[in-house]
Amino acid sequence: MTQSQPDLERVDSSEGHHDHEGTRRMRPVHVVWAASATAVLIGLVAVRAFTAENLDAGIPNPVQDLLTLSTSVLVESLPFIVLGIALSILVQVWIPETWLLRILPRNQWGRRAVISLFGMFLPVCECGNVPLARGLVRRGFTIPESMVFLVAAPILNPITIITTHQAFGFDDGILIARLLGGFAIANILGWLFSKHPEPMSLLSGRFAEQCRLDDGHSHSRNRREQTLDLFVRESSILMPALVIGALVAGSIQVIVPREVLVALGSDPLFSVLAMMALAFIISICANVDAFFILPFASTFLPGSIVAFLVFGPIVDIKMLALMRTTYTTRTLVQLTTVVGLLSLTLGLVVNYLA
Amino acid sequence: MQRWRGVVIIGTMAAITLWLAYSGQLVLYIHPRYILFTVIMSVIAVVLSVLAVTTRRDHDDEREGTPPRRRERMLGLTAAAIAGLFTLGMVVIPPATLSTATAEQREVNATASTNTADLEQASTADAEAIARFTVREWSSVLRQTSDLAFFDDKPATALLGFVTPDSDDPDNLFYVSRFVVTCCAVDAQPLGVPVYLPGWQSTLEPGAWIEVSGPFVSNPSRSSTQAIVIEPDSVEAVEQPREPYLF
Repeated sequence: MTQSQPDLERVDSSEGHHDHEGTRRMRPVHVVWAASATAVLIGLVAVRAFTAENLDAGIPNPVQDLLTLSTSVLVESLPFIVLGIALSILVQVWIPETWLLRILPRNQWGRRAVISLFGMFLPVCECGNVPLARGLVRRGFTIPESMVFLVAAPILNPITIITTHQAFGFDDGILIARLLGGFAIANILGWLFSKHPEPMSLLSGRFAEQCRLDDGHSHSRNRREQTLDLFVRESSILMPALVIGALVAGSIQVIVPREVLVALGSDPLFSVLAMMALAFIISICANVDAFFILPFASTFLPGSIVAFLVFGPIVDIKMLALMRTTYTTRTLVQLTTVVGLLSLTLGLVVNYLA
Repeated sequence: MQRWRGVVIIGTMAAITLWLAYSGQLVLYIHPRYILFTVIMSVIAVVLSVLAVTTRRDHDDEREGTPPRRRERMLGLTAAAIAGLFTLGMVVIPPATLSTATAEQREVNATASTNTADLEQASTADAEAIARFTVREWSSVLRQTSDLAFFDDKPATALLGFVTPDSDDPDNLFYVSRFVVTCCAVDAQPLGVPVYLPGWQSTLEPGAWIEVSGPFVSNPSRSSTQAIVIEPDSVEAVEQPREPYLF
């Protein structure tokens, strides 16, 4: 991006500070673009309304269900992605850099512990979290710290706590185990990755490149432009990943019979593994997953429910697709292994205690 | 174009989501409690998308930084193409409820309620309340008791659901079934009440929506594992309801 001086001037002038010819020519263009964008959207909705009435797609049941399930994952995640992008823009563009850094303790462990509580005032679920974590890295947080946030925030966040409480109350210690487990796993993971000699190599090539490009350029444009620019960039990276994740999650649900998993419900070890597998496959957001798992609570042991509620927000098909935009495959394999083992341990402990 | 694919996808999806909410079909995908939040966020996405296109600048289309490696580029293009196709599908393929394929795959009544309070409530309910029982109440009662006396003067009245064939005795037995959704279509759990009607396949299609009325009797079928079934007085074909799932 090589847009500093000429760009600034044009923005200023469009706001009326200067008044030379170039600016007057810009305005109708803006109107035309706004009008055509709106017209296209209205056109799409009109097509949608028409085809819903008049088109019988004649799609075979399993394929139709695959589409319905994938669309369900998408429609369920979409608002959280938008919220995540919006909060990410807020943190990167509108909140002064010093605010976030000032409240952090110097000590490494303390720093990570505070970061793992960021979700309390940035209530996003895991998919909205990816753009936010990317934003934190650009704001100068270390890469292990971004992971601590990525892992902890979907669990340690007010919406998740409320929905989990609505679903389970304090029964079997499920809520407490979820919160403490999420906190512990995030901090252990952050500590492990902080031992990495070259943290930059954890990032995917494309994102690392962007971070380098950002340095020194981001201040040269006004906030409105930065906001829209970030919206364009984040959505173009996240949306394809989200769709792929939703499609894979939908297909697997059509292919793998649910009974295979449910049959394992009462075994202390296999129930935990089965629930982790289920969490991995269904890929729904942490803010709502407590309701998802509620119907299974009667057939599954509490430890397996906890494993579902802790593992699911961190690692699932949709999340891996989203996280791949930011971290390398190698990093994700390590992350999945560590989180998987820790969730398994947590689930087993709860099963034997409860 | 590369730069704009995300805006196109997110703007289109948000607009379609708003249409779904407007036409009352968003409940095919998510629980009603999330509708307000989903609508608000979709409006924000639509507004941001339009603004982003509006402030579009000439050099926006220029490549940012060094070009990515070829393999990564192909991967990105493929992902974008699939995402684009799916978005197009959201625009043209009519929204649909989950079908019998999922009902059978998820095993009807695997998660029927075993809450004893439900059973107690059912045993003291008056005739009017019983006539309002849905598939949810009946499946819970049937799961917890096989005492025929319990069902004396408690017939099913205009019980609404779609037809799912029984896996053990598909010729004589089907379920009148509904999906119960606690979060979104992803967690839809099929519940059903068995109906004994030999040769039902000559008049009914699997997946068809019906209203069944009739008393509960001991199951005449030999190969089915159900103890108690409805012996229908009437089976009426009806339109799919606006809210096909139970919440």
